[in-house]
Amino acid sequence: MPEIILKNITKKWGKFVGVKDMSMVIENRAFITLLGPSGCGKTTTLRMIAGLETPTEGQIIIDNQVVFDSEKGINIGASKRSVGFIFQNYALWPHMTVRQNISFGLEQLKWNKEQIKERVDELLEMLKIEQFDKRYPSELSGGQQQRVAIARTLAPKPKVLFMDEPLSNLDAKLRQEMRTELKRLHADTNSTFVYVTHDQLEAMALATKVCLLDEGVVQQFDPPLVIYDKPKNLFVADFVGNPTMNFINCKAKKGTEANLLELEFLGFKAHFTANDMVDLRHRDVILGVRPEHMPIRKNGKIHATAYSTLPSGMETTVKVMYKKELLTSVVFGSIDYAIDQDIDIDIISNNLILFDKETTERIAIGKIDIYN
Amino acid sequence: MVNTFDNRDDKRNNNGFNKQDNQKMSPFKKIFYRVKAFFAVPANVILVVTVVVLLGLTVYPLFLLVLNTFIVHSSDKSALASYGTFSKGDYTVFSWVKLLTQTDYNYARNNFFIPFFNSVKTAVLSATIAIIIGGLVAFLVTRTNLKFKRFISIVFIFPYVMPTWTLAQFWLNLFKNNQLPGAMSNGFMASVFNIYMPENFVFGLFPMVIVYGIHYAPFAYLFVGSILKNMDANLEESAVILKAKRFKIIRKITFPIVKPAILSTFLLVFASVMGSYTAAVYLGTPVGFYVLSTKIKAMVSVGQAQSYIMGCFLIAVGIMVMTVNNLITGKRKSYTTVTGKSSQISFIDLKKLKNVISICLVVFVFSITILPLFSFALESVINVPGTYQLSNLTLDYWIAKPGAILDNSGLDAGLFYEETIWKAMWNSLRLSLTVAFLAGTGGMLIGYGVARRRGTKLATFVSNLAFFPYLVPAMALGAVYLAVAVKFSFLHNTMLILVIVGFIKYLPFATRAGTNSMLQLSAEIEEAAIIVNVPWWKRMLRIIFPIQKSSFISGYLLPFTSCMRELSLFALLIGTGTQTLTYLLMYFSQKNSSQYSNALTLLIIVIVLVIQFVVKKTTGASIDKGVGGS
Repeated sequence: MPEIILKNITKKWGKFVGVKDMSMVIENRAFITLLGPSGCGKTTTLRMIAGLETPTEGQIIIDNQVVFDSEKGINIGASKRSVGFIFQNYALWPHMTVRQNISFGLEQLKWNKEQIKERVDELLEMLKIEQFDKRYPSELSGGQQQRVAIARTLAPKPKVLFMDEPLSNLDAKLRQEMRTELKRLHADTNSTFVYVTHDQLEAMALATKVCLLDEGVVQQFDPPLVIYDKPKNLFVADFVGNPTMNFINCKAKKGTEANLLELEFLGFKAHFTANDMVDLRHRDVILGVRPEHMPIRKNGKIHATAYSTLPSGMETTVKVMYKKELLTSVVFGSIDYAIDQDIDIDIISNNLILFDKETTERIAIGKIDIYN
Repeated sequence: MVNTFDNRDDKRNNNGFNKQDNQKMSPFKKIFYRVKAFFAVPANVILVVTVVVLLGLTVYPLFLLVLNTFIVHSSDKSALASYGTFSKGDYTVFSWVKLLTQTDYNYARNNFFIPFFNSVKTAVLSATIAIIIGGLVAFLVTRTNLKFKRFISIVFIFPYVMPTWTLAQFWLNLFKNNQLPGAMSNGFMASVFNIYMPENFVFGLFPMVIVYGIHYAPFAYLFVGSILKNMDANLEESAVILKAKRFKIIRKITFPIVKPAILSTFLLVFASVMGSYTAAVYLGTPVGFYVLSTKIKAMVSVGQAQSYIMGCFLIAVGIMVMTVNNLITGKRKSYTTVTGKSSQISFIDLKKLKNVISICLVVFVFSITILPLFSFALESVINVPGTYQLSNLTLDYWIAKPGAILDNSGLDAGLFYEETIWKAMWNSLRLSLTVAFLAGTGGMLIGYGVARRRGTKLATFVSNLAFFPYLVPAMALGAVYLAVAVKFSFLHNTMLILVIVGFIKYLPFATRAGTNSMLQLSAEIEEAAIIVNVPWWKRMLRIIFPIQKSSFISGYLLPFTSCMRELSLFALLIGTGTQTLTYLLMYFSQKNSSQYSNALTLLIIVIVLVIQFVVKKTTGASIDKGVGGS
């Protein structure tokens, strides 16, 4: 069972810390995405698991075998970890044809000729690139090269497949298509996928679990919808979701019950009912509201003006100005408001999130009731 | 899950095999693992081996050179007689004292200070001429509506591919006459047009400066031209929009941008000319115009230690020049490499002058590249030198059977029937092939190591170390290895020492070519092969080499052609059994044996050009690719 375990992995270059004390268990047959802004250490993490980069400290276990241990001086090379790796720029060998690219790895593994031919044919068919088998990579389009790279990586039937932003060089339409294919591929191959991306939509759409990193530290490691609905801190809340969450500064004090709070924000007073007990440590909190939880409707409690409207067909993002605070709302369908037109909005959801302003950690999830 | 992460350090016990203690490794073991992990990376192995080899082949010999300036060699015994009686192997400072201070017969002046200043003068003037010619041609080709651009840009690089002495020989073929010292025969001008040029036109500083200047002009052309070509046209266009005049744009914008390139070219040419021997031996020595490099050669047999001292000075100049160059380019790099997406700026219209300038340039380029070849061919088939008549033509110097010719040089057969020539050809070829193989492969491997470990201290150190021989002028490097041969006498007069010195000299070029091509290749191309368990040597042979084939072959080609035409480097080290074609050539010219030396020059050029052409046609590699030119 190819379960991957990272224990206290740290990577330093001189004084610069790339990845800091990371521990993570990647279950068998999971589809994990490593997500984060550029420079957060996601590619480094992937390369360390694959064996292309050596961690400074820690332990990596793949399939119950310790492949790296800084204390015991174990470091099994990438070639012996039986993993597959798809590179961002595909790294196809330009002097070999498509068929040679795919079969080269199998020749190294001493497969016999018929086996190789059979396997290559199978992959060419699976990825729908049969007609290109005699072409060179430079004679293929980006999407076709991508397929060849996948075929080459899948050829030796690796149990673990690493992908480093494999779709970032494709155009938007093709990327969408390949996402669908990758998800099918994951189901068909029975392998564990670890996937690096900076595109949160991609991470959400593909993964069984998303690992969100910032500055080399794991911020949250959870299934996509948990990350979306229950972000652990402001960074996660802010990074995931498009358009981004609204953050409203509030003053809070304890209410009559353990799960009740009194909030003051933008001149309003409201009751906050949390789903659990709340441990309120500071008076300053931030209320996080997803744009879809801030609908525009007649007689809404907040009397604002339209700042700018951005229709995209299926939905419309409306930027709303209230007391010099710019808020974002999403409306289903296509609507166009005139600039500075008066509109009313509400805050309606059971999934509003309260963060501690000082620690940036989440303190509660619940709903509010504006009474004044 | 195995729980190995319990922190039980405080429960220390003395049982060394205990599990807890296993975690707290001994520092020795930790270092051992570190070292093991370090050497598991092939790039690291290459870099470390390179450090060891290069320290042994450059730094240690340099130390030997300095040491040898204080040693009494057999030729020094009589040279230093006025300072006392010395026996071979003694240590003394008197070689320094004599060379730098002795006033009897103006010894120090004649043997050190005058040659030294001659060298500096020659180098400064040559570099200036190279920049003026090369820069002007580069400007005309990239920035004006000149005609025949293609022809000019191809042929203009020729002198750089041809041996240095080509133009010197051509100069003599044209201008020498029987009124000059050395009882020479008349050259073309004197014989056909009755034009007798004075001595200081035919020999000495003037012709040397012209010859070196033209030889190194392609250098300036490639450097300045590539910057002019890649320069973002927006820079000039925005000045045009601000209504600046054309000349002002050139002065205020274009020139400042190419200035660093001009300065580096100046320094590189300066250093090369300082260490060059060939043109000086053709055009200076016959009239007693000595430069440092010719003096070194002359001094080896009469005061060896003093020739080492001069070698030290040459190296010091080289290092100084490079330091200055690094200071300049290091600071300015940020704006010399501007490239832009905008299209080529509109060409300057030369108007009426267009045809005149174009034709003049074509004639000039023709007369420094193609005309010399005709001249060599002509001179090699003239029976009695100086008489240009049909009846005086003969192919004897090419194809006569042994005994048919009576010549100053002591040879008596046509080139193709002369055993000495064939032997020298064989020496030249095997030397060049071996050097090219070693330097090319070394450069490629070092390039691989440096590119893979880029940014680490080790990689930076290695790339500097591999570049170091570039600072050592060719003649001085010869002196260095002469000193090595003193210490390790089994190397004396062998092919091996020529191979080593050639390897060292051309390693910087090959390393640069190798590093550049490796940097173009993303590491992922190799990692994709690591993942599927391809061993290192197979990755090199099956993946990396085939992809970058043409630039690697350039890395082999450059040392090969340079070595085929090299003389300065080998002049001090060649013995009777290891004579090369270029060495014979020098011998012929010293013996005033005009037909042989012209025939041989032509032969060498033809060999170099043919090989280059064949390699280019079959692999697509070319010299200018290796140099990094356009």
